[in-house]
Amino acid sequence: MSNSSALALPVARREQAASHYRAMGVPHRRVEEWKYSDLARALGEEGFSDGTACWHIGPLPAGVEIFDLAEPNAPEWVRKHLGSLKESVMSAASLAYAQGGVALHVTKVAAGPLALEFSGAGHVRALIVMDAGASLTLQENLAGCDRRNIGVEIVLGEKAQLHHVRIAPVAAGAVQVEEVAMTLAAGAGYHSHYASFGAKLSRLELDIALEGEGAEANLSGVSVLGEDNHADITTRISHAVGLTHSTQLFKKVAGGNSRAIYQGKVSVEKGANGSDSRQTAKALLLSRQAEADLKPELEIFADDVKCAHGAAVGDLDADSLFYLRARGIPETDARALLIHAFLEDAMTGIANADLREQVRGAVNDALGRVSA
Amino acid sequence: MLEIKNLHVTVGGKEILKGLNLSIAAGQVHAIMGPNGSGKSTLSYILAGRAGYEITEGSITYNGEDLGAMPPEQRAAKGVFLAMQYPVEIPGVTTMMFLKSALNAQRRGRGEKELDAIGVLKTVRAKAATLNVSEDMLKRALNVGFSGGEKKRLEILQMSLFEPKLAILDETDSGLDIDALRLVAEGVNALRDPSRAMLVITHYQRLLDYIVPDRIHVLAKGRIVAEGGKELALELEAKGYDQIVKDAA
Repeated sequence: MSNSSALALPVARREQAASHYRAMGVPHRRVEEWKYSDLARALGEEGFSDGTACWHIGPLPAGVEIFDLAEPNAPEWVRKHLGSLKESVMSAASLAYAQGGVALHVTKVAAGPLALEFSGAGHVRALIVMDAGASLTLQENLAGCDRRNIGVEIVLGEKAQLHHVRIAPVAAGAVQVEEVAMTLAAGAGYHSHYASFGAKLSRLELDIALEGEGAEANLSGVSVLGEDNHADITTRISHAVGLTHSTQLFKKVAGGNSRAIYQGKVSVEKGANGSDSRQTAKALLLSRQAEADLKPELEIFADDVKCAHGAAVGDLDADSLFYLRARGIPETDARALLIHAFLEDAMTGIANADLREQVRGAVNDALGRVSA
Repeated sequence: MLEIKNLHVTVGGKEILKGLNLSIAAGQVHAIMGPNGSGKSTLSYILAGRAGYEITEGSITYNGEDLGAMPPEQRAAKGVFLAMQYPVEIPGVTTMMFLKSALNAQRRGRGEKELDAIGVLKTVRAKAATLNVSEDMLKRALNVGFSGGEKKRLEILQMSLFEPKLAILDETDSGLDIDALRLVAEGVNALRDPSRAMLVITHYQRLLDYIVPDRIHVLAKGRIVAEGGKELALELEAKGYDQIVKDAA
């Protein structure tokens, strides 16, 4: 921590993050929020390595500036926003210990999906700042089987639109956590899809603050897990002001000894009238040993809001299976068709056709592996 | 074509069919009429091979083979089709994709060459037009958001596409208004053929005004209690099931 230039953060701010992390310790299953994901146990004595994980970025479209967080002389937009958003315990860890990362500044409507890949072991940070009216499609890919902690902050200006598609391929034996904190100004939109195929422990945490009227967050995700893989998606969405919208649709298929987790908390703050929130999480279990924990939560302090949530864990619908078989489709094919159909529902919302096909491809590969 | 002898069927340990006999030859249309709870739906499900329906005694022979021993998909490939009372909704599978999968699965099951996407599309479109099944319905998820009439029209479209040897229509008239009923009946009548047998299962005589059967069987308490020509439907309508069942006893 002697290197105060890394991460363009004042030493005091890094020390504050370090003491936050030290005070909380590595989360374990007796911490309510980490009940289904015992990070301390998965990491064991070793913990995270001291190194910094790597990032690689594809060709930048016009309207996107980049800054390497390991470099000195950070521009004003980095100094202003880095480390400024709500900090969870693991996000504090990356803020304290990462020696590098990437920052993107989107100033206008940027063309084409921009690919960002994380690999290697250790902590790493990312910052995305979007000006008013800017828009971007970001494809986030995870690579390798390491112990990695990614801390991301996203600041969306008025009417900025971010489409985010994250693909986390199966990483057996890996421990991969990522925390995304985000703030949305009036009229801004965050539209995301997370495809997760599991690791020894894999967790994506989202902390989304809808802070301007008309801001909206539309989250969707699929998970296809087999063997002893684990995938946890934990979301916290705060409707801080009125007329904000959020939707969440998560579908999970779990086979083998795998464990699929969704924890979603939606808070509608005092005075956030006219807000609208929908939350759905469903899981299909393909084996007796597989487990799904779905925990939608609602906290409402405002009047005049529309909130709905639902969760269901089950097997394939017997009526549907019989219908397909009675029309000539053999049982294994009928099951595969119904599993695809179950997941497809959560993938149709991916706006970019190429990315949608990529996610479908990854899902097909995973289903071939998991249901075999 | 179809020969049912002394058929006993239990569902969840309870005997529903109690010694049913029925024989249908190719080219004939038979109707099964009966009050609620008589075992009509059980008969349709046992013919199509639904899990949970167990034959405890008797036999179902179809073209000389033991139908009861075949899984549902094999029955379909061999030409058995059940138009269901409640077609299921499957979000995430488009109607067109389902029709193609089912048609080709049946062809594979018979060892025939699969049709390519364009071949299927052409065949489906031609048949869809006569049944008033719109292009939009074919693009939508299977049965999702379809009206009762649309669902039944899609069942008949499938029947016309798969060209079954034995077609069973389970309460195809339920939930249809008179126009929809007429359209569905016309679709069924167009499929009457010397090589095809049909079994029309219904509670009401109304459907039989449009699909005129060669033979009517009255099912009550798991057995056929009365049989006759098409005029039996009118007698049933006039007297009611109770009287017919009593007369038969």
